[in-house]
Amino acid sequence: MLRRFRLEEPESVMEVSELLGRFGESAKVYAGGTELLLAMKEGLVQYERLINVKNVKGLNEVAPDNGTIRIGALCTHHQLETSPVVKQKLAALARLEQNVANVRVRQVGTLGGNLCFAEPHADPGILLLALGANLVAERTSSKREISAEAFFVDAYETCLEADEVLTEIRVPVPEGKSGVAYLKFGYLERPSVGVAVALRADGGGKSIQDVKIAVGCAGPAPKRVLEAEELIKNRGVDEAKANLLKAGEVAAHAAQAISDLHGSQEYKEHIVGVLLKRAFQNALSQ
Amino acid sequence: MQFEKQVEISASKEKVWNFIWDVDRFIACVPGCKEAKTIEAGKLYSAIMIEKVGPFRVEFPTTIEVLERDELTRIKARASGADNKIGSRMKLSLDVNLREQGEKTVLGFVAGVDILGKLAALGHGIIKRKADQVLDEFAEAVKKRLEGDS
Amino acid sequence: MSKAMIRPADVQMIPLSFTLNGRLQELAVEPHELLLDVVRDRLGLTGVKRSCDVEVCGACTLLVDGRPVSACTTLAFEVRGRSLMTIEGLADNGKLHPLQEAFIEHGGFQCGFCTPGMILAAKALLDENPNPTEEELKHFMHGNICRCTGYKKIIESIMAAARLMREGRA
Repeated sequence: MLRRFRLEEPESVMEVSELLGRFGESAKVYAGGTELLLAMKEGLVQYERLINVKNVKGLNEVAPDNGTIRIGALCTHHQLETSPVVKQKLAALARLEQNVANVRVRQVGTLGGNLCFAEPHADPGILLLALGANLVAERTSSKREISAEAFFVDAYETCLEADEVLTEIRVPVPEGKSGVAYLKFGYLERPSVGVAVALRADGGGKSIQDVKIAVGCAGPAPKRVLEAEELIKNRGVDEAKANLLKAGEVAAHAAQAISDLHGSQEYKEHIVGVLLKRAFQNALSQ
Repeated sequence: MQFEKQVEISASKEKVWNFIWDVDRFIACVPGCKEAKTIEAGKLYSAIMIEKVGPFRVEFPTTIEVLERDELTRIKARASGADNKIGSRMKLSLDVNLREQGEKTVLGFVAGVDILGKLAALGHGIIKRKADQVLDEFAEAVKKRLEGDS
Repeated sequence: MSKAMIRPADVQMIPLSFTLNGRLQELAVEPHELLLDVVRDRLGLTGVKRSCDVEVCGACTLLVDGRPVSACTTLAFEVRGRSLMTIEGLADNGKLHPLQEAFIEHGGFQCGFCTPGMILAAKALLDENPNPTEEELKHFMHGNICRCTGYKKIIESIMAAARLMREGRA
């Protein structure tokens, strides 16, 4: 049984923000509830009010916009897995969404909720980092765009202010000869290690012009690994491949792996290296 | 969970030692700790420890017991607290030692921290990181306080 | 009389109107009531089970607007204006659904605890994809756990039901 709470059902983002500002820590945004309700059932958190944001219009659409895909924060994993736009332009994201948790969680869980709860063992944040996504946060007094890097602060912690509402995720469509891959590993219900690689090769496909590498699940929050990117970027394909082992080690260290039920730190770091190699090869082959 | 910390403080051993027993100011160095009270001077103290990890918040009314005391050298203490709202308990064993190093004092401590109950659901790793952070901040705060007023 | 019936006077009640197994149902719930508890305790439909309570095992699967949800982690008021299907609503006037027949025919259950959830999830799968490959079936059914059968018979049952349903339509 959950403890009693009051349900608020605002119809605009401003109303949501206003409620959050007014009630502070005693109120929480409630969308799919797949993470929030679990924590509430466990008794780890308590709220006097839940703010049901699902009646706010316009937050669950997928819209292409000039080389960017705009994803409403309330889009469910299922919506994204089946969206023709996402499948065509951001195939790696569609594939990731198809493999989030299980069919029931995908049905009601939202991308926005997943990102805001910032549970360490989660997939989407990692790929969004590698895709260079930006997140739009609104509140009564302002609206701002936050880079994915700045968004994730720590385990269960984002950079959102108390009265800010995540409304949109803006993902640039990869250009030119690009490949994007997200690979994860896990044997418990949630993923233990996740690695994303997004690269762009030159016209001839002989060198890597640009690459973004992100790791997550193993540590407290997903991270881009610039140091590993340096080993791959602006290098010939063969040289990049030769650097994969080192890049893997760098990424493994950057993952800030924590020893827990999902595996020891060393094990997770090893898996990061393996997944990085495979993700790179997968992206290259695209 | 075991933690070992050491911090070098530009202050005499006596100054550091006296600071430790100035319970209000000492406890104020622990991030999230407040309302320090002396129940029996030199032996029993109480405080409230509030820590947050994202949306998860614990409030442990804590009792601190001094077990051993070697004047100017060592303190052995233990603390325990329970957050009944969340259904979690905290147990802490603390071994503090002071060592002179020239003009400075090295304050070292070995802390054993155990979190029992629901909070453990957050995951051993997360709690360990948080405890580590808290102890780091504590050591830094003690250093700052002592070096600050001279 | 369940505890839920005794409420303080100023409590917030949400009136619900929804379709339950094809029939109109009206009910008032408090915001914090879970769908699983409302269906089992207030509606008396105990086919749905509480098992892991953390959305992992699928024993609490119900269909809302034909799509599977974890009733253990769904607030009851969310079915407002929608259709809810429980295992009790699958048979049509006593005539078993092809899935139910297939599970019996092919031995798709042993203790039966996971079965209501399995069958409802399978129904959602086949409604979405009447001709799934085994891979597609396994992916969809990944979130429904069985401790008895080892899944082979479950897969056979669902594939057999899929054939029956396709032939029925043709």
